[in-house]
Amino acid sequence: MVAVAPATPARRRRKRTDEGVVTIGRSRIGTILANTVGVIFSLLMIFPVYWVLNTAFKPADEVLALEPTFWPNHPTFANFTSAFKAPLFMQDMLNGLIVTLLAVAGALVVGFLAALAIARFSFYGRKAIILVVLAVQLVPFLALLIPLFLMLQTVSLTNSLIGVSITYLVLILPYTVWTLRGFISGIPRELDEAALIDGCTRAQVFWRIILPLTGPGLVATSVYGFIQAWNEFIIINTLNSPAKQNLMAWLLQNQTTRGTAWGPLMAGAIITSIPVVIFFLIIQRNIATGLTAGAVKG
Amino acid sequence: MSVVESPTTRRTGGSTPHRAPGRASRSRRSRQSAATPWLLSIPTLILLAGLLGYPLVRMIVLSFQNMRLRELISGRTPPWVGFDNYTKVLTDSVFWTVVGRTVAFTVVCVVISVLVGLGIALLMRRVAYGVRMFMIVAMMFVWALPQLVAAQIFRWITDSDFGVLNYVLDKVPGLNYQNHSWFVNPWQGWAVITTLVVWAGIPFLAITLNAGLTQVPKELVEAATVDGATPWQVLRNITLPILKPLITIVTTLSVIWDFGLFTQNWALRDGHPEPVYQTLATYSYTQAFGQSRYSLGSAISVITVLLMLGVMAFYIRQMFKIGEVD
Repeated sequence: MVAVAPATPARRRRKRTDEGVVTIGRSRIGTILANTVGVIFSLLMIFPVYWVLNTAFKPADEVLALEPTFWPNHPTFANFTSAFKAPLFMQDMLNGLIVTLLAVAGALVVGFLAALAIARFSFYGRKAIILVVLAVQLVPFLALLIPLFLMLQTVSLTNSLIGVSITYLVLILPYTVWTLRGFISGIPRELDEAALIDGCTRAQVFWRIILPLTGPGLVATSVYGFIQAWNEFIIINTLNSPAKQNLMAWLLQNQTTRGTAWGPLMAGAIITSIPVVIFFLIIQRNIATGLTAGAVKG
Repeated sequence: MSVVESPTTRRTGGSTPHRAPGRASRSRRSRQSAATPWLLSIPTLILLAGLLGYPLVRMIVLSFQNMRLRELISGRTPPWVGFDNYTKVLTDSVFWTVVGRTVAFTVVCVVISVLVGLGIALLMRRVAYGVRMFMIVAMMFVWALPQLVAAQIFRWITDSDFGVLNYVLDKVPGLNYQNHSWFVNPWQGWAVITTLVVWAGIPFLAITLNAGLTQVPKELVEAATVDGATPWQVLRNITLPILKPLITIVTTLSVIWDFGLFTQNWALRDGHPEPVYQTLATYSYTQAFGQSRYSLGSAISVITVLLMLGVMAFYIRQMFKIGEVD
């Protein structure tokens, strides 16, 4: 539940050449050994991912073969179509989208204002706000599920998409504030000052300078928020009935009823992961710097 | 919905006074700019207070009451029971077993993942460009996978009848893994869960630490090598000291994440973890939502948060120390 906050804008992509790598005192055999280990490691890492793809494209009889093949002999989309046709799959996909988009949009608007305050103003209590924003990212959200459930129950927001949206909004808000703060701090203050001297009002500075320049940051932040909300399943599974859950919760439900239909389940897992994986790969460089940026001074 | 919309109105409301710059007297202006950051922060603070702060208080209150299904349905205030829940939890040997298991799992997992992560990060500096790219791509895909999906994949791979793991192990001469069930023996079951968590955690650790390694000054390493330092000495006396703040932070984060283990053991055990597969998080959840003992679950949650408080405080202090928070 803890968000990893990219605090600084993306670091420049490393050049093709190995600059910064010390090469003296290295043996040939050592290099060959290192490369071999590297390849084996990568293959081991990627194997489970490969195995899902392999399973999802197999026809049912190949999935449940006692001698599993490492390649689908008769590749088919049958598992994907049966996942799409499965009860509640489309419904839960739509629910997930609604809930996630509402939460991300809300967190972005609310969080941007707070980020602006922390990044651009020095005021009494600023450190306290930073402390709160950092600390709440570490609170295990799961621990708060019981009171949250009771609270939403009293205002009749359990089994509702609104209730979950608000919960997700709060879930990604601290991270959003923290990340946007980093992006806004990255804009030179001199730009603001120059604009103010030229006769801009504070509001104009915001609309014409800070907002456009934070654009890429807003994209990265909302994408990461999307991933967080999309991947969540415990809260929505606890608060809502199956018709009002998301795809992650669908994956969980699907396994508990009768024997597992592995083919469609793996196909469903792929469909569920695709948006997240694509988004993740787009913003990965922001995430890689993570909550840890600044720990090693360059 | 009003929660989502209110900040928009607040923004325009908050910035209107600035439309008349210069005319405002000096004192009024400074008062405005003193209020502006707070106006901007208010929506966030209200949301955090309402949906994080209040539940936190409610959780503590709940742990001193006895909230059961009856009170939940009737909406009556549950009876106060003082420290009863805490006494019940703290004198329960099952609870202490769960605590011990969670701590042991966290230690094992964090040690393995940080060591392997560091090893891979160092390896990435040594391999050819193509191999490094391959490693990064492989890790990125693993990192991007949702936790639940990763857990489902492992459930399928370790399936007793059709899982590929049993098939491969069975091929090894002398081993009989046909229809072997991985979760009958808790040691084996936990080995699977640990593998899953370590596998999923390595990309973050390796890639972050590798990024840190690129910051180690090349000149230092070269000078030491020319002076005759062995690679081991370079690692111990140059690389690791420079990397130490980063290692501390990723280790702390790993502790926080692994201690809160829920998804992996939950999904691998089909949403009904047996007693031996319970961690603090699943235990509290099962007590509350499985058995409708909301107060008992709250008490367990409070204890969990208290147990983690030290680690969290350490993390935040570390963040302030390295100057990321300015």
